[in-house]
Amino acid sequence: MNNLVDIFLRAALIENLALAFFLGMCTFLAVSKQIKTTLGLGAAVIVVETISVPLNNLIYTCLLRDGALAWAGLGHLDFSFLGLIVYIGVIAAMVQILEMILSRFSPALYNALGIFLPLLTVNCAILGASLFMVQRDYNFTESVTYGFGVGVGWALAIIALAGLREKMRYSDIPDGLQGLGITFITAGIMSLAFLGISGIDL
Amino acid sequence: MNNDSPKKALLVVFLVALFCSVLVSVASILLKPIQQRNQLIERSKNVISLTGLAKDSAALSNDAILAAIKLLDIRVINIDSGEFASDLNAAEFDSRAVVNDPELSIAIPAELDIASLSRRSRYEIIYLVWDGNTLSRVILPIVGTGMWSTIRGYIALQNDLNTIAAVSFYEQTETAGLGDQIERPDWQAQWQGRKLFDSQGRLRFRVGPGTIAPNSPASSYQVDSLSGATVTSDAVTRIVAYWFGANGYKRFLDQLDAHPAVKAAAADATGGSTS
Amino acid sequence: MSAREAILDPLFNKNPVLLQILGICSALAITNSVLTSLIMSMAVTAVLAFTNVCISLIRNHLPNSVRIIVQMTIIASGVIVVDELLQAFAPDVARTLSVFVSLIVTNCIILGRAEAYAAQHNVRMSLLDGIGNGLGYSLVLIVVGSIREILGSGTWLGFTIMPVVYEGGWYIPNQMMLLAPSAFFIIGLIIWLLRSWKTGQVEEREFKEINLAKAGRQL
Repeated sequence: MNNLVDIFLRAALIENLALAFFLGMCTFLAVSKQIKTTLGLGAAVIVVETISVPLNNLIYTCLLRDGALAWAGLGHLDFSFLGLIVYIGVIAAMVQILEMILSRFSPALYNALGIFLPLLTVNCAILGASLFMVQRDYNFTESVTYGFGVGVGWALAIIALAGLREKMRYSDIPDGLQGLGITFITAGIMSLAFLGISGIDL
Repeated sequence: MNNDSPKKALLVVFLVALFCSVLVSVASILLKPIQQRNQLIERSKNVISLTGLAKDSAALSNDAILAAIKLLDIRVINIDSGEFASDLNAAEFDSRAVVNDPELSIAIPAELDIASLSRRSRYEIIYLVWDGNTLSRVILPIVGTGMWSTIRGYIALQNDLNTIAAVSFYEQTETAGLGDQIERPDWQAQWQGRKLFDSQGRLRFRVGPGTIAPNSPASSYQVDSLSGATVTSDAVTRIVAYWFGANGYKRFLDQLDAHPAVKAAAADATGGSTS
Repeated sequence: MSAREAILDPLFNKNPVLLQILGICSALAITNSVLTSLIMSMAVTAVLAFTNVCISLIRNHLPNSVRIIVQMTIIASGVIVVDELLQAFAPDVARTLSVFVSLIVTNCIILGRAEAYAAQHNVRMSLLDGIGNGLGYSLVLIVVGSIREILGSGTWLGFTIMPVVYEGGWYIPNQMMLLAPSAFFIIGLIIWLLRSWKTGQVEEREFKEINLAKAGRQL
């Protein structure tokens, strides 16, 4: 249990995918203009992460890793090099299914999310979480916790950045920095702040 | 065929999948031997640098490294019993691959797991460097969790099985510019001549802050920690403490100490007098 | 669009990283040395060119229902091949780059150009467009990488420019340059420089009253 809390807090805060590893940056910088939109996007990310990381974990453990196919008598095969295609396929399929479920059962949320739901397929934070899960060799429960933690962390980061950008709407920023430039610098300062949390031993 | 017909979709998907899988599989199979050779050279390079046999191991060509590794006495030991495991083939054994295998590895009890490994293999590959009939060095792999990553390295001990002859860290992804400085040769050079255990057999080695007066007794057990990299430095201390503690190589070292080749060398070192 | 425009436009006029906001993740994470930036640039350019060519080849036969997944499969295959090549011929760099090579799959530049250009243009132009955007991306990476490596370690591509105090020199390295946030600041400042030169890229202010107030002051 301790281990799971540790994984969750590390994933959400100390090893925040957006601010410590810079994953999901394109959406992070492009979509963070208003808090309202980021709330919806953050929720979508949390859902996709919490489902895709454990799912990919199952596939990796049962089908892809070295010796995984022992249950089928093919234990000498190592398909881990196919991991990338499989994970991205799973994520794409998952996002598509989520889209269909939402449009059927919760049209309000579906409309609120708009274009961002399909864009999640190419969000590096989603794929990155699965890749880190493989690299660190988590088991199933750890994968669920990790996926959830990572999603929460990314959502927190983008909502915080949106809050800051909304505050800066009335600031007199130099022309060349307007928009993208000042967003980079703000994100840099946020990232600096998150560095301060690193090294906390739980 | 109409682009939007299901038949067309299936055909296109099938052909693309076929093309991609052939491409990827061919690349993977063709390149695998080269990748494995790289991994072997990488692992060997680190060990060679610790044997003290090659003057400038960094300048050795890949073939020279592979040839030199053949000259080392590579053994597999059972960490828990401290004995050589003759039934395992050193050329094929990989402790990293078996760390989750329930028969070949153990779960480390939480109170003993100071290097945060959670599991370790029961067996490990170690290297013996001989000088004629006497043992000159023993090289032991160490591994543990650093601040961000798993740190892997080797420690070479002199034949008193206490004094560190050399250390090298070959795998880590600690903080760039701070923790990753454990790979710097000038920092690793400090380890030479430091001792692990004191005269009562207690493990006293640490990577610690502050400089200690060079001639004080405590200085022979300490290496300066890296400024700005406290967590990584602490991790290294704990890794050494784990692997040279009771759950690590201690039993093996005690048994090796009783080996005649080691005793002979130690006796030579103290001028022939036995205590 | 001529061939020359295809290759040169993405350098300053339509830079994928600095204007289109694509491919940012890797631009930030791995640029603390010029060597990794160089290898990453080559990897991305190679995958971009390969993907653009493949998608352009099948663009007239690609059903809408499977468009995205087919594109992703081709991109993923290209990335796997590049990853395997790197592990075979540049293992040290491959280790440093670790998951970021695999993350080229989600590099928005690649899917972005595939959708926006290769799906509508012939093979030759798609190839040039892929190379052009790859060059634009490489430019940013190498510039950021150079700044970070020179200021952070005193070296450039491994050659010592400013000898560091640890090795007996005089330069105390700015270690923040080796850490992640510095990349944000550097890219922000580069954007400022670029938009001062190419004023057409400046974004409009959301709060127009500031412009009026400024104009009023100057009258």
